[in-house]
Formats: sequence, structure tokens, C-alpha cells
Amino acid sequence: MTDTTTLTADGERRIASFTDVTRTYGGIPVVDSVSLSIRPGTTAVIGPNGSGKSTLLGLLAGSVEPVEGVVDRAETGDGRGERRVGYLPQDVPFRGSFTARETLAFYARFVGADPDALLASVGLTDAADRRVDALSGGMRRLLGIAQATIGDPPLVVLDEPTSGLDPGMRERAFRVAAAAADDGTAVVVSSHDLDLVGEHADRLLLLDRGGVAAADDVDSLFEDHDVSSVEELYRSVVASDSDGLGGSSEADHAVHVTGVSE
Amino acid sequence: MTSALRALGTVFRRELATVLRTPGYAVLGLGVLLIVAAVAVVGGGGSTGILPAVVDLLLPVEVLVPLVAVVLGYRALLTDVGSGELAVIRTYPVGVVAYTLGVLLARLVALIVLVGVPLAMVGGYIWATASPETGIYATHTGVDSPLLFVRFLTFALALGASYLAVAAAVSSLAAGRRSALALGSVVLLGGVLGGDLGVLRSLSDGGSTTALAGTVASTPNGAFRGLVFEYVVGVAFEAGNGFVDPGRAVLTLLGWSVVGVAVAVGSLAYGRRVDAVLERLRGRFRF
Repeated sequence: MTDTTTLTADGERRIASFTDVTRTYGGIPVVDSVSLSIRPGTTAVIGPNGSGKSTLLGLLAGSVEPVEGVVDRAETGDGRGERRVGYLPQDVPFRGSFTARETLAFYARFVGADPDALLASVGLTDAADRRVDALSGGMRRLLGIAQATIGDPPLVVLDEPTSGLDPGMRERAFRVAAAAADDGTAVVVSSHDLDLVGEHADRLLLLDRGGVAAADDVDSLFEDHDVSSVEELYRSVVASDSDGLGGSSEADHAVHVTGVSE
Repeated sequence: MTSALRALGTVFRRELATVLRTPGYAVLGLGVLLIVAAVAVVGGGGSTGILPAVVDLLLPVEVLVPLVAVVLGYRALLTDVGSGELAVIRTYPVGVVAYTLGVLLARLVALIVLVGVPLAMVGGYIWATASPETGIYATHTGVDSPLLFVRFLTFALALGASYLAVAAAVSSLAAGRRSALALGSVVLLGGVLGGDLGVLRSLSDGGSTTALAGTVASTPNGAFRGLVFEYVVGVAFEAGNGFVDPGRAVLTLLGWSVVGVAVAVGSLAYGRRVDAVLERLRGRFRF
């Protein structure tokens, strides 16, 4: 298959791009005229609840159809397999009566991958024969991340892979997700965990009310906004417009706005 | 093996494993066996021969088989859509046709087991125990034969396949479990009762009785019943009784199956695009 990956203006590979993409539900725009490029490395998508993160990730993964605009994804190439995008939705959707190995084996058969190697890559070898409905939330997320990387796709989309996990499991899930970006893969991950985003992300995509409030390399954004952490950046760009920022949190440094559904 | 066949086989195996791990289906199969056996015993046909047993079983099978097919099909495609797993599956090289056929073929195997095995067991028991002698294979009109039961079973499974396909189409269109259940019930009631009521209404409105053989054959239940009369019960009478137009009846059962699968495939393939187009229109015309 031809590699149609294009280059950005600064000469970097572009794995995917949005051109004036809009998605509405019931006539209300959830993602509004968004244009952006996704490059290799880890891109973190952050923003308040209801800012359009899941919809944007769905558009990127192909599970949501744009109402206006164009979503381009790179073809596979460079010796990669047949899969163009790996995707883990916010709610891990696997069937509960299947074991972890059976679940990965189902997906692995589509592209001829080895489920045991995938289980090992996320540290779930010991849980291989446990049913999905007997796995902890963190283990399910790790299983989901392993699934998303099957077939070595050039783009991996992970929707809040650390949501609802304890601090140790959040760190582990984020580390595994970021590791997938080491070989030139573009990993796009949404998260409310701003500390982990700061530790692992190469680039940030900050959404607010369906639009892109800021998007660039982490260091450039810090410099442009004269801040030293993702949380400060978040507060600088988004929080001034949001009510209730201090009203709730998932963890000490996580941002979570209550009362707004994704 | 081509990519499409590999995908179909993978989906098929997973769906079959899911059915095997659902205890409710085993209970359903046991229920079918008990009902079919009870009807054959209580009706008296089971102790007399294959043909009388078929006559006893005809009406219950017309209800039971569609019921089992709808139970197997009404959530067949909705499950992965509702959980979000279909969105994940579609990131793999799996075509919508391969996915849909994989799910439906597994459900068809389940239907064959849940309906076919109980009927075959009852048929086999009647063959072995009933008197007068039913062990002679019929080669001509008028002789009771286990082959007649095989025909009956084949028609019953064809009826089930058409309901399964329609139920799966409904499953692909439903917004959630409740709407799938409601739509599945409509399919069941509409199919089992609606076709016959429609024919009766047509006759009471002055419809032609000469066209009855064709009209009856246009619904799955009518087609099934007509084929059973023509090729099973009818062997006791003169050939070519004209209970139903056989070609039309076969086409009806085949047609409902094909249309059901086509609607399911179309819904999964284009549902998101249609939704996006509707959203676009909603935005432009503010409705």
C-alpha cells in the first residue's frame, strides 16, 4: 500500500489532518471548524468536559463522521500492516465472557499478530486467562491499549485511557501509551491528568467549547504563554472561561468540570 | 485465505463462542425440545406416524421458530454497536459484509442447533417408535416416511433463517436494547399474524381467490405453510394440489433472508453517513 503521509510546513511527517471539520449533534456544534495536523509522537488532547475531546478523537479514529470538512489519515506504509488507525474508546467495550488472551486473539487474527506478545507488552501475561469482566479497571485499560496498537498502525487514538484509575495504574497506562509513540507512531491521547500529560506528551491540543484554544509543542506553548506546567497553561487558556474549575477534581492535579456531560 | 474470508471466519468464531457462553440459549433450546415433544405426544400424531406428527407440529413450529430466530437476531448486531466495539472492529481490515455475515452465520448455526436438534430428536423418536411402519423410505405418493420430516425440518429452518435476517436488520436499525426488543416484537407479531390477517382482509375486500396460492406465498409463514402442505402433507393427496405457488414460496423465504441481510449491511455501512447528512440538513434548515 502506498504511503501517502504528507509533510507539514516545517518538514515533519503528517499522520492525519483536519480541515475545517465540524460535527454537530442535534444541530449543536460539538467540534466546530477545527483544522489541525497530527505528527508522530504523543499528542495530548485536554480540555474541560464537553469541550469536544471524545468527538474529536472519534473523528480521528473514523467512528464519527464529520458534518462538514475533511479528515485525512495517512495510508499505512513503511512496512507497516494493514491497519491505518488504532482506537480505544472512553468505555472499554470488550465482551466480558472472553479472557484477556481471547480478546486480543480475536483482534490479532485480523492482521496476523501474536496476542501473547501483546499481552506481554502491557504486562498482562499473568492475567491472560482471566475473563474481561474479572479484570480491574486498570487492567481493562491496559488490554484496550494493547488492542489499539495491534497491527502497528501509524496512528493510535486513546480516549481517556487513565480515567478512573488509581495513581499507580494511571502512570502505568500513560507510560505504555506514550511508549507506543517511540517508533514514529502518532499517539493521540485525551486526559484530565495534567501532571501525566506534562510528563509524557510531546504536543498539546487544548480544546475549549468545540474549538482549538491552543495547539503546539509543549515547550513552545509554555514559552508563548509564559507558564511552566500544563496545569498553568490550562488555567491560562481555558480556566478563565470556565465555571467551577476548582469545584471538583479527579486527583490533586486533575481538572474535571462537574455537571457537564461529554 | 483472503482477507475477507479470514475476517468473516474470525467474527464467526467469536460470535459462536458468545452464543455458546450464553446459558439462556441452552434453556431456550431445552424449552423448544419440551414443547415440540409435548405437542407430538399430546396431539397423538407422534404415536401414529411422521405425517400426523407434522400436522400436529405445523402451527406450533410456525410460532416457535420465528420466536427463536427473533431472540437470536434482535440484538445480534446491536451488541457491538451499543458497546462501541464495532467502532474498534472497523479500525481493522474487516468489511461490513464480512462482519455482518460472520455474525449472522454464527447465529444461523445457533438457530439450526436450537430448532433443528429438538425437531430432529422428536422426528427420530417418532420414526423409531411410531406405528404403523414408518421405516420405509417414500419414493412415491402416499407413504409415510422420515424423509417427509426432513423436508419439514428444512422448511422450518428456512423460515427461521428469514426471520433471523429480518431481526438482524431490525437490530442494526435500533437505537438501543429497548427499541430493538420493541421492533423485534413487531417483526414477530407482524410476521406470524400480520401476513395471514392481510390475506383474510384481502379476501374479505373481494380479492381474487384464484390468486390465493400466490398471495399466501408472499409472507414467510404463508410460504412455509404452503411448502409443508405441498411437499409434506400433500403427499397423502394427489400430486400438484396447488396449496401454494412453490417457486414463489421459495423465493419469498430466500428474498426475506437476502433483504434482511442487505438492510443490515446497508445500515452498518451507511448509517453514520446518513446521520451526518441529516445533521448537515438540520444545521442548514434549522429543524
